[in-house]
Amino acid sequence: MNFNDYSNINAIRARGLSDVTFSNDQLNHFHDLIYEQVISAAVSKLSKEFGNPPSPFCFFVMGSAGRMEQSIWSDQDHGLVFKTNSNESQEYFLKLGKEIAEGLDLAGYKKCSGSVMASNPLWCKSLKDWENQLGLWVGVSSWESIRYLLIFADARTIYGDHSLLNILKEKAFDEVKREQLLLRMLHNTMFLKKGVGVLGQLLVETHGAFTGSINLKETAFFPFVNAARLLSFYEGIKETPTLSRISLLSDVVMPHQDKSLYSRNFSALLDYRLKHGSHRDYDSGHYVNINKLAKDEKKALKEILKVGEQFYEHVRKLLERK
Amino acid sequence: MDTVFLMNSLWVMISAVLVILMIGGFILLETGSTRMKNAGHIAGKTILTFGISSIVFWAVGYGLIFGEGNSILGFSDFFYSGYDIEGLGLSGAVFFLFQLAFAGISLTIAFGGFAERAKLSVYLVFALLFSVLVYPFIAHWIWGGGWLAEHGKQDFAGSTVVHLTGAMAALAATILLKPRIGKYNKDGSANNIEGHNQVFTALSVLLLWVGWFGFNAGSTVSVDGAFFGFVALNTNLAAAAGTVAAMLISWIVVGKADVPMMLNGALAGLVAITASCAFVDTWAAVVIGLIAGILVFYSIRFFESRKIDDPIFALSVHGTAGVWGTLSTGFFATPELATVGKPGLFYGGGFEQLGVQALGVVASGAFAFIVSYIILSIMKVAMKGLRVTEEEEIIGLDISEHGSYGYPELVNKEAAAKGSIEVTGTANVPLSSQHPSVN
Repeated sequence: MNFNDYSNINAIRARGLSDVTFSNDQLNHFHDLIYEQVISAAVSKLSKEFGNPPSPFCFFVMGSAGRMEQSIWSDQDHGLVFKTNSNESQEYFLKLGKEIAEGLDLAGYKKCSGSVMASNPLWCKSLKDWENQLGLWVGVSSWESIRYLLIFADARTIYGDHSLLNILKEKAFDEVKREQLLLRMLHNTMFLKKGVGVLGQLLVETHGAFTGSINLKETAFFPFVNAARLLSFYEGIKETPTLSRISLLSDVVMPHQDKSLYSRNFSALLDYRLKHGSHRDYDSGHYVNINKLAKDEKKALKEILKVGEQFYEHVRKLLERK
Repeated sequence: MDTVFLMNSLWVMISAVLVILMIGGFILLETGSTRMKNAGHIAGKTILTFGISSIVFWAVGYGLIFGEGNSILGFSDFFYSGYDIEGLGLSGAVFFLFQLAFAGISLTIAFGGFAERAKLSVYLVFALLFSVLVYPFIAHWIWGGGWLAEHGKQDFAGSTVVHLTGAMAALAATILLKPRIGKYNKDGSANNIEGHNQVFTALSVLLLWVGWFGFNAGSTVSVDGAFFGFVALNTNLAAAAGTVAAMLISWIVVGKADVPMMLNGALAGLVAITASCAFVDTWAAVVIGLIAGILVFYSIRFFESRKIDDPIFALSVHGTAGVWGTLSTGFFATPELATVGKPGLFYGGGFEQLGVQALGVVASGAFAFIVSYIILSIMKVAMKGLRVTEEEEIIGLDISEHGSYGYPELVNKEAAAKGSIEVTGTANVPLSSQHPSVN
C-alpha cells in the first residue's frame, strides 16, 4: 500500500459520504467501513515488509468512533492490544499503529491532538501490559489516569480478535468497582457548559468564529455521553453507544420511562447535529447557528438540552447516594 | 492659623494623594486587561503622560479652567506659583494639586482607547493637546463658572468633566486607530483578546475604589459638617451595587459569572455616582450603581458589535456610565442635598434639572469628541499615522517602542513556544478539552 492507496480510500469516503449523512447509524457504519479498508491496507503493507503479524491482536476505536456517534468529520482515537507479550510483537504492532494512523490521516481523519492513537506506546500494548496499565490507572487514580479510564471505556473492536478487548474491559470494570472510583469519575466529568440560561434562552458563543452558535458538543452531547458512560461502569455494560448503554440498564437502576425519555432525546440530538451542524470541517460540525433555526427547532433543542441536564443530574444523584 | 483652614487643607491633600494613586489603579487596570507584550509600555507611558499633564496643568490648564475670563474659558493665573486663593478656605497649593490630579485622570482615561496599537509619540503629543484644548474647556464650563455652571449643572466630582470627557477622546481615538489585529474575523464576528492578568485587573479596581474616596469625598474640598463621610458612603454603595449587578446580568444573559464584567460593573458604579454622590440619598446611590452595572454590560456588547475595539472598555465604563451618572441627579437629587441646581424628577423638580443634565452631557460629550477627533486627524496626517506598523504591533509595543519587554523571560518563552507549535503542529490543547471526545 502506498500514499496513493490511502488517498484513494479518501476519495471513496468523500464520494460515499453524501449518501449517508441523513442517518447517524448509516454514517457510522460507513466510517467503520473506511476504517476497515485503511486497516487492512496497513496490515497487508506491514505483512509484505515485515512478515505476518506475530500474534493475534485487536484494533479498537474510542471517542465518538468507539460510541458510533461520529459526525461527518471525525478525528482519530484508537488503540491496539496484542496477545503475545514480546519485544518483537511490541515493535511490530507499534509500526502497524503508526502506519494506520498515517493511513487514516491520508484518508481524511485528522490525527488525535492528545495522541490517543495506536501509534503511541501508551495505547499499543500486549494483553499483559494492558492489564497492568489498567491496574495502574485505577491504583494511581489521578485526574489524568481517571481520564484515561474514561476514554478507554468507549473502546470498541473494529478489527481483529474481539475477545482481547473484552478481557480488558472486564478487568477495568472489576478494578473500578473494587476501588470505588465511580465518584471520582463523576467528579472528573462534572464540569458542564450550560446550554440554556435562567431566562430560558439558548446560550451561544459570544466571541470567535462561532459567534451566535451554540456548542452542541459541550452543552448537549457531554451530559448524555458522560452520564451513560458512568452508568456503564456502574452496571458493567460493555456496549459503547450511548443509546445501547441506556437501553441495557436494569430497570432497578432506572425506570423504563426515564430510559425511554433519555434515549429519545439523545437520538433526536444525533439527528439534530447532522441536520443543523455547519459540517465545513471537524470543529464547525459541533456548532449550530441558532439564528438559522425555526422556532420549533429551537424549542426542540432546548428540550434536548434540558433532558440532558436532567439525565446527568439523575446519574449524579444515583452515584452520590451510594 | 485657622484650624478649619488647616483641616480643610489636610483633608484635600489626603484626597489629592488618593486621586494620584488612582493612576496606579489605571496602570494595573490597563496592563491587566491587555497582553503581556505591551505591559511595560502601558505602565510606563501612563506615568509619563501624567508627567506631561501635570506640567501643562501648571503652565496653562489651571488658568484656562479657573482663571478670570468669560463663560467659555478662563484667561489668567497661568504658571501658578503657590499663592493662596481668596475665598477657598484651604491652601491654594493643595487645591491646585487636587485639580491637577483630576486633569491627569481624565487624560489617562482617554488613553484607554489607544491601548495596544498607538505610537508612543502619539501619546506624547496628544497628552499635550488634550490638556490644553479639550479638558480645560469642559472643566471651565462646569466647575470654573462657565456657561453650564450658570445653568446649575450638577456634576459633583466629574462624571462628565473627567470621565465622559476622557471617554469621548478615547472614542475618537479608537475610531481613528481601528481595531487591533486579530480582534475581528472576516465574517465580522469579534474575538475575545483576553487580558493577561485578572489579578491585576481586580487589584486595580480595589485601588480605584479606594482612590475614589479622594475623588468624590475629597470634592467637598472642606471638612465642614464631615459631609465627606456621606459622600464616601454613597460612593461605596454605588460601587458595590455595580459589581453585583454586572455579575448578575452576565450570569443571566450569557450564563457565565464573568470576572472582567464584574470588575467593569464596580467601575461603572463608581463613575456613575461621581456626579451624584453629594446630591442623592443612599438608596438612590444603590439604584444608580445597579443601573450602571447593567448598562455597562450592554454597552460593552454594543460597542463590540459596532466594530469599535475598546481594549479596556473605557467607552462603556467611563462614557456610558458617565452619561448615566450625570443624568441620574436629574432623577434622584433631593431638595435638601441639591445645593447646586434643582431637585430631580422624583422629588418634584420636574424635568428642569434633567434637561440641564442632558444639555451638559450632549454639549460636553460632543465638544470632547469633535475636538479630539480633529486633533487626532491632524496628527494622523502630520505624524504619518497614529498606529505602529503591523510587525510592531505583533511583536508588541514593549519591544517596538521601548526596546525591552515588561516581562522579558515570559514573553521570550512564549515566543519560543509559538515557534515550536508551528514546527511540530501540536498546539498545547488543554487536557480537559481533549477527551473523552464526542465529535
